[in-house]
Amino acid sequence: MSAVTDLLQQVVEGLGSGAVYASLALALVLIHRFTGIVNFAQGELAMLSTYVAWQLVASGMPYWLALPATLAVSFAGGMLLERIVIRPVQGAPELTVVIVTVGLFIFVNALAGLIWSFTVKDFPQPFPDGGLDVSGVRMDWSTLGIIGVVAVVMGLLYLLFQHTSIGLVMRAVACNPASARLSGIRVGWVLMLGWGLAATVGAVSGVLVAPVLFLEPNMMGGVLIYAFAAATLGGFDSPVGAVVGGLFVGVAETLTGAYVDVIGADLKVGVPLVIILAVLLVRPQGLFGRAAVERA
Amino acid sequence: MSTITASLGTDRVRWLRPTLTVLVAAAVAVGAPFYFAPFQVFQLTMVLVYAVALSGLNLLTGFGGQISLGHGAFFAAGAYTAAVMLDRYDTSHLATLPAAAAGCFLLGLGFGVPALRLRGLYLALVTLSFAVFLPPLLKRLEPVTGGSMGLTVNKMQPPAWSGLAEDQWMYFVVLAVTAVALLLARNLLRSRVGRALLAVRDNESAAEVMGVRLSLHKTLAFAWSAMFAGVAGCLYTWVIGFVSPDSFSFVLSITLLAGLVVGGLGSLYGPLLGAAFVMYVPSVSQDVSEAAPGVVFGLLIITVMFVAPTGLAGLPGRVLGAVARRPPRTTAALDRMPEAESAPDAEPESQALSGPSETHTPADPAVVDAEPVGAPPRTEKE
Amino acid sequence: MSEPTTGSTEAAAGAERDFLKVSDLYAGYGQARVLQGLDFSVARGEVCAILGPNGAGKTTTLRALCGMVRGRGSVTLNGTELLGRSPEQAARLGVAHVPEGRGTFNDLTVEENLRIGAHLRTGPRRRGRTERAAVVADLERIYDYFPKLRQRSRQAAGSLSGGEQQMLAVGRALMLRPSLLLLDEPSLGLAPLVTRELFEIVRAVNEEERTTVVVVEQNAQLALDIAHRAHVLEAGRLVLSGPAGQIREDGQVAEVYLGVSVLSRKAG
Repeated sequence: MSAVTDLLQQVVEGLGSGAVYASLALALVLIHRFTGIVNFAQGELAMLSTYVAWQLVASGMPYWLALPATLAVSFAGGMLLERIVIRPVQGAPELTVVIVTVGLFIFVNALAGLIWSFTVKDFPQPFPDGGLDVSGVRMDWSTLGIIGVVAVVMGLLYLLFQHTSIGLVMRAVACNPASARLSGIRVGWVLMLGWGLAATVGAVSGVLVAPVLFLEPNMMGGVLIYAFAAATLGGFDSPVGAVVGGLFVGVAETLTGAYVDVIGADLKVGVPLVIILAVLLVRPQGLFGRAAVERA
Repeated sequence: MSTITASLGTDRVRWLRPTLTVLVAAAVAVGAPFYFAPFQVFQLTMVLVYAVALSGLNLLTGFGGQISLGHGAFFAAGAYTAAVMLDRYDTSHLATLPAAAAGCFLLGLGFGVPALRLRGLYLALVTLSFAVFLPPLLKRLEPVTGGSMGLTVNKMQPPAWSGLAEDQWMYFVVLAVTAVALLLARNLLRSRVGRALLAVRDNESAAEVMGVRLSLHKTLAFAWSAMFAGVAGCLYTWVIGFVSPDSFSFVLSITLLAGLVVGGLGSLYGPLLGAAFVMYVPSVSQDVSEAAPGVVFGLLIITVMFVAPTGLAGLPGRVLGAVARRPPRTTAALDRMPEAESAPDAEPESQALSGPSETHTPADPAVVDAEPVGAPPRTEKE
Repeated sequence: MSEPTTGSTEAAAGAERDFLKVSDLYAGYGQARVLQGLDFSVARGEVCAILGPNGAGKTTTLRALCGMVRGRGSVTLNGTELLGRSPEQAARLGVAHVPEGRGTFNDLTVEENLRIGAHLRTGPRRRGRTERAAVVADLERIYDYFPKLRQRSRQAAGSLSGGEQQMLAVGRALMLRPSLLLLDEPSLGLAPLVTRELFEIVRAVNEEERTTVVVVEQNAQLALDIAHRAHVLEAGRLVLSGPAGQIREDGQVAEVYLGVSVLSRKAG
């Protein structure tokens, strides 16, 4: 295997994990755009959704039926969460809101442990074994599948926001809730929709990553850090940035793990820290963010 | 009513009560190790250790309004500084304290500079990533840190003259350090740094206009705060005599924040109450299930934020305040209008300068939403 | 909301005269009471100016009408009580508020802004084909009023000049086909020429569509030019009310009475 093939191989694998980071980062960015909140519980909500999927499959439901059911449950759950937990502190100081999402993080994590225990569970892999071999670079169906699913999610979100009237209304609320209200838009409902959407996108990331990481309550903790790095890199207001950032972080992580001996597999988790610090020092608004935005 | 008692009270009455409180508290604190069993004394000692860390976090979060999700990492850094010094260089226990404090102060500066140029949110991200990164780093640095096995070091031994048992001696040493730390925290808040912090927390833009150098003060506050966590970690090593990477996972960081929130953000006693929570809630509820402490903490945090953002320490004040406010509230319908001359100040045209959260406090959430209070800050464009 | 012209204002019924009726209105923020009992009426199809010095409660009055602040007393629009409703409910009743400082959706294009204005008419429940055609027609109507917006229909609202943004905000409000249009300091931060143009358009809209308008202005001269009636507010109370021409005449009285120059720009 030549050095170039080897490099390409690593990049492909990096894109695979990057796609997962991208989808969780997308969920973070969605909520941030709508409410200005960084949801620290996003990863745990995704984990909870994955457990729902696992439970459905374990109780005999076929995978491809369990998946849409899980996404629907996640959507409804996200909406309820906004209404019950977030709405009461909407407009409170940022500190309060962040602490509430941290509380949610702790609670959901422990709740999953309480219901499903902390033992690791096998999660079904929807994609077939094997893969393609493109001039020496091996692409597993599972890797391609993950990238494909995230691309589809991106595309659907794009269609929703740019080509439907509900998407237009959602963008209006994200942009200026007070004026949206004056135009007769029920902002509360739109915020609930936004949280539901984010929870659904997050659920996709959880279901995708579970066969690789194995399902347990702390599964998404690491992914969340990478997703934060992705969102910081792409800009917390930019869905496109989240995806680009996610792919970049995934590739950077894989390459660093493979080629920098000092780092190796165990210290890869330092990569998001370095990326976040570097972005904050060099271009704090992120690649696709707006400069005026982040300072407050 | 309170003004009447205050004006009647002589100077003597005014200082008598706090002095008495301090004396009683000191007597209880000094007497405790002679009354309780060694294990209970050990637990009390750990409460004090956590209280030091929480008072540091309180400086940052309670008074500075910034969030750190990585104070467990500074705690770990302090603990390892002490352990490595004791293990490899065979220094005295006391020598490790200033080293841990200085090390963590510098570490805090290092992370604070990039993170605090921006909104507090980024500090949370940076510190969380740091907290996740530190345990594997400690494992990797095996020649120094002992890797996954950790380091076992000598606990502090009581000198012969004291006639105390090990747990009692440890307790008193930690009590002394904690007392100094709490006093230091209080004095920091009264210093220029503290006043600047409060100004920043209450109204960042106004503080900036007044010439408070935001990023400098926020960064300094973070460094001080990290230093307290480091000192607490150092005490931890003295008391436990063992450190390992898995004792300092990011769960510790989150637990510290949780404890502080429940104990009371921005209160001087909050850290003590919160430390008791950090110590006792897991040990009590762990018997129920491994997950129980998390369920309890998670629910408590959210509940506290909903009903009593000042935490346990603020509860008495809130209750008294509510009772005191009741009479005017029930009758102060719209009939009791203030005189006309007081009104013009409230015209919203002048609100652009003051923070929106202070000026609009209607009870109806729908109305609150209608104001630009909840609006994400990014919508404005020059 | 079709509204055939029913002859002269004099012949109209009492309901027409009291199309918007504000009685004993108190409102404020938290403990601070800003409005100290306002009483006034606006007839259907009328332009009403609310004048007064900074801090008199002009903005608060408008905000109370559209549900952005709570009030006590009574505000009826065509007989329907407005107080106690949220801004989105008020919008559903035909109240369109153009807030101070424009309040456009800066990330959206000009056309998207206007479509949002018609949200209530194209929302999921009223997706009639005729209604949608009507919205397209309205879009054209707005572009006719504001030709500059037509040129920039695909541009992001945030890239417009201040004057264009204000026009967009008014255009968006008109897309609601409001029965009551509330304008808060439309001249704020605009060049005099742009302001004049904007006020001319408001006058045209009022004349052609018979939309009832309440405009809050510091620039009394401008507002009186298009208003039928005017009210002068001072410290949360009405101190002077009457036909616009008369208020202009009484400007000197007001000056003496208020100690401030309400009509300071008259000479201009």
